[in-house]
Amino acid sequence: MARRLAWPLVVVGLLIALAGAAVMVVLGPDSRFTTGPHAVRTDGVAVVTAPDVITYRGLQVDVLVEVPVNKPVFVGLGNTVDVQDYLAGTRRLEVTSFRAPWTVRTAERRGRPALPGAPTALDWWIADSAGLGGASISTTLPDTPVSLAILAVGASDLSGLRVTFAYGVRGGFGLGLGALLVGLGLAWSGLLLRRGPSVATAGPRRPWRERDAGAQELGEEVEVVEEEVYVFVDEHGVEHEITAEEAARLQERLAADAPDPTSPDPTSPDPTSPDPTSPELTDPEPDTSVAIATETGTGTGAGEVPPPAVVYVFVDEDGVEHEVSEEELADYELADDEHVDDAPADDGRRDG
Amino acid sequence: MSRRSAPVVLLLACVLALTSCTVPRPRDDRPASTVPIDRAGVEQVLSRYDQVREAAAKLLDPKPLSTVESGAVLAIDTGSFDVAQRLSRGVGSDGTSDQVERLAVPRFTGYPLWFVVEVRDQAAKVNRVQVFERGSAVDPWFLVASPETVLSTRLPDLRERDGAALTVDPRSATGMSMSPQQAADRYAAALEDPSAAAARTIENDDFRAQMRTAARRNASLDGVRFGQTWKAEKVTHALRTADGGALVFATLERVDSYRVRDGIQVTWPDDSPQKALLESGVSSSGRLRYLHQVLVEIPGGSGRPRVIGQYGGVVEAEGP
Repeated sequence: MARRLAWPLVVVGLLIALAGAAVMVVLGPDSRFTTGPHAVRTDGVAVVTAPDVITYRGLQVDVLVEVPVNKPVFVGLGNTVDVQDYLAGTRRLEVTSFRAPWTVRTAERRGRPALPGAPTALDWWIADSAGLGGASISTTLPDTPVSLAILAVGASDLSGLRVTFAYGVRGGFGLGLGALLVGLGLAWSGLLLRRGPSVATAGPRRPWRERDAGAQELGEEVEVVEEEVYVFVDEHGVEHEITAEEAARLQERLAADAPDPTSPDPTSPDPTSPDPTSPELTDPEPDTSVAIATETGTGTGAGEVPPPAVVYVFVDEDGVEHEVSEEELADYELADDEHVDDAPADDGRRDG
Repeated sequence: MSRRSAPVVLLLACVLALTSCTVPRPRDDRPASTVPIDRAGVEQVLSRYDQVREAAAKLLDPKPLSTVESGAVLAIDTGSFDVAQRLSRGVGSDGTSDQVERLAVPRFTGYPLWFVVEVRDQAAKVNRVQVFERGSAVDPWFLVASPETVLSTRLPDLRERDGAALTVDPRSATGMSMSPQQAADRYAAALEDPSAAAARTIENDDFRAQMRTAARRNASLDGVRFGQTWKAEKVTHALRTADGGALVFATLERVDSYRVRDGIQVTWPDDSPQKALLESGVSSSGRLRYLHQVLVEIPGGSGRPRVIGQYGGVVEAEGP
């Protein structure tokens, strides 16, 4: 499940990181994209955006308007209903479309040559500023339809108007940086998921990871396979894992070595009843210590049981044992030719 | 996903959510509209109104009122200031102790803009249900209606959408027994002639009873031919109530006319507005013009309209 999420996480992370980087590059450290100054040709008293020109909200907008010879000028952002009513009867240059960075379409609207009232006396501007030779506003576009108006104050006009426009997101550079880091983090997380769990995370509580960590997937259910393991314990108390075939052979030998059931030995266990000391093949870990003892004790006495294979060993001067074949025996001097029956009951090995 | 990574993912999700909140997005494409004022703005409007009213009351000069009042309210208050001047008595300041009880601001797609505020005047022991209107973008907020209700009167709940009060087209009777304009017209008709058919469609409330009582008293004067006419002005302010009805602000014009036989003179008590305007009374013919602003509640369904508040007075006099 987690691995299935890995690639989408990487892709989404990279996309977010790219978007963040793009925002950082476009906006720059001041979080704004600035264009201008642009000349706006008009000799009227008002330049205003049409109702549907400003369609974004949450955008940080900075507008600087400049007029020559220190003429008084006003710039304001207001609800479209207010601005349209205010300028409805006034001759104005209406911005009918705007596309970033600065593609503007305008239309002349007829009307009275003067404003119906001083813009500075109105209380419904969302942001406004007035000044001699220039004025600027800096505001965030609200979630209501708004229009921008550049107005001449007093008896002046807007000839020679130049507009510098900047827009961005407050703290946009930081947001871009954040998006970059978040995206990279997501991508990294995806890669980690893709690689699978680390050794450090695989603990004794999840033994299946150790067995087949590469094939397991995080979150998947593990099928538990029960496995029978056959073990015999030699006379030194050391456990040896044996195969099922070896266990079967061993059981056959035990059966052959068992005393005649017709003359039961009171000291021997009842072979028909489960005996904790007899080999129990259905037991995953049958206790074979008695069986081994019986085997070693009987030696070759049982005709059906083949004699154990003789292993010849050469011990070098360092005490290290080396197994040698019967053909190679001629090259060695026999140090001990004791018969297997007399040898210590281990696994039938002879030293050479 | 391991438990260890869950907090990290949660943190990233929160960061993304917060980031997306600040990202500029296109606005919805609804037509341009405005909810023209908020509570803070209303407080400013009321404060400015109180200041101007206070200044006018001190000087008994109604002229400053023209900067904060308009229409019937200005006419009524100018008349009351005129009467107060002639009678050398003060007028109520109408404001400083007011407490805003309720505010209803509709959404508009164009001018005029208006809102309704209910303020409690503890001194006068009345609630004023005031309508402030801005006729154009260059106008200030003017008080255009101010019917008063007794403190025990509870206005019907108003219907809202997206935090803005809903208005009712004065000519629409949807969900009601009649439209706001019809209610005003029929109310005027019922006041003028209680036996008119329109009178049966209007609730017989206290205002009707008072007006009929005053008219009967004037008509009972010997040697005087008394006539009274009522007329409703155009309704422009109506709010939708929660029950599907309407709360209507209507202005009714009342004209009392007197034709007096020779040798007889009609006079009024010394402290009455009529006495102030017609100092020597009416000796041949005379005419008094009143304006009454009434607050009409039209219930949803088939209920009959009734007046729950009024504010009025004499605004003009012709005599003798």
